[in-house]
Amino acid sequence: MNLIAQVFAALSGTIGFSVMFSVPREYYPLCGFVGGAGWLIYCLVLPYAAVPEATLAATVLVVLLSRLFAVWRRCPVTIFLIPGIIPLVPGGDIYWMAYYIVMNQMEMAAEKGFEAVKIAVAIVLGIVFVFQVPQKVFRLAVDTAKRK
Amino acid sequence: MEHEREIMDVAIEAGHILLENGAEIFRVEETVYRISRHYGINTGSIFTLSNGLFVTADSVGAEPFAKVIHVPVGSAHLDRVAAVNQLSREIEEGKFTVSEARAELERIRTMPGKTYRMQVIGAALGSAGFAYIYGGSPIDSLAAFIAGAILYIYILFVSRPHLSKMVGSITGGAVATVASMILYGLGLGEHLNYIVIGSVVSLIPGVAFTNAIRDITDENYLAGVVRMLDALLVFFCIAMGVGVVYAVVQRLIGGVVF
Repeated sequence: MNLIAQVFAALSGTIGFSVMFSVPREYYPLCGFVGGAGWLIYCLVLPYAAVPEATLAATVLVVLLSRLFAVWRRCPVTIFLIPGIIPLVPGGDIYWMAYYIVMNQMEMAAEKGFEAVKIAVAIVLGIVFVFQVPQKVFRLAVDTAKRK
Repeated sequence: MEHEREIMDVAIEAGHILLENGAEIFRVEETVYRISRHYGINTGSIFTLSNGLFVTADSVGAEPFAKVIHVPVGSAHLDRVAAVNQLSREIEEGKFTVSEARAELERIRTMPGKTYRMQVIGAALGSAGFAYIYGGSPIDSLAAFIAGAILYIYILFVSRPHLSKMVGSITGGAVATVASMILYGLGLGEHLNYIVIGSVVSLIPGVAFTNAIRDITDENYLAGVVRMLDALLVFFCIAMGVGVVYAVVQRLIGGVVF
């Protein structure tokens, strides 16, 4: 139940960002789907792994879906990737870092700051590697799906 | 040769719109090459930074062409990126003459963005969603919805038109934190932390961050590093804005930890 609420919140948050970034209206549902699916994987992996690892898994799915939709709808991958990746950005950790600095708890602040860096690196790795998959693979996937 | 100039102007205008509205460097350069090549100029060369285009062309029998364009980084309009992308594809299919393409680019450049009301609702929705996924309760989410809307109204009417990016991000973080504290003080919301986290998300430099990674991946290091610096600076400024408000409030009230 909580999982459904989480995914729904991520989905609507992603759509909110799509509006802010002026994504064409017809792509709102797909953007929301990408963000929601990424967060679902994050939530599912989290009990078995650390936060950066869960973020990596989610990023891989977000980039795969973004590229697939970009080929399918013939539009730039940026449209799905930027809103979809936002739930994974370590905004919370950066907040906690600032919070603990003000509260003068430097050890906690350093821990949160380092966590944010690890999460950012996970996102970078996810994007870098999935963009190495040749475009042909996605073309093939879309064509096969259309023929059915 | 007038014609060459006209073709290059169209290609550059396409690149300009892409760069200004949040496309990655690879797409900007690829689009300029494709358009100029389709109209018969094979000698075009382009170098792109995060805030500028340098283009030359030197066909046989024509005057050498060179242009430098300064592109101040605007807010992202991904609908324009999609439209230029579509146009470039249709140009390659031979559907546009040079002057038609120019008219179409003019239309894209002046395409109306989302209305302010829509943008505020979008920001509020984003704040509500992220307050919840970062650990808040539904009530926190509601408070973040309101605080997020207040922040975005501040961004639209004060920080974006009048303030630099750094000052805008610091004061934006502060405005969101103050709004969250007031709502919390009025009894709306259960955890101040999650309300604040949610309310500031519309300041997160998502476009700069994602594009920076992609540019660095494509080995456009210079543009990528500048964009990454931009993103990190904004993150830092938001944190500073939030932190300053906490520090001041703590002094005034005296050791009350939220």
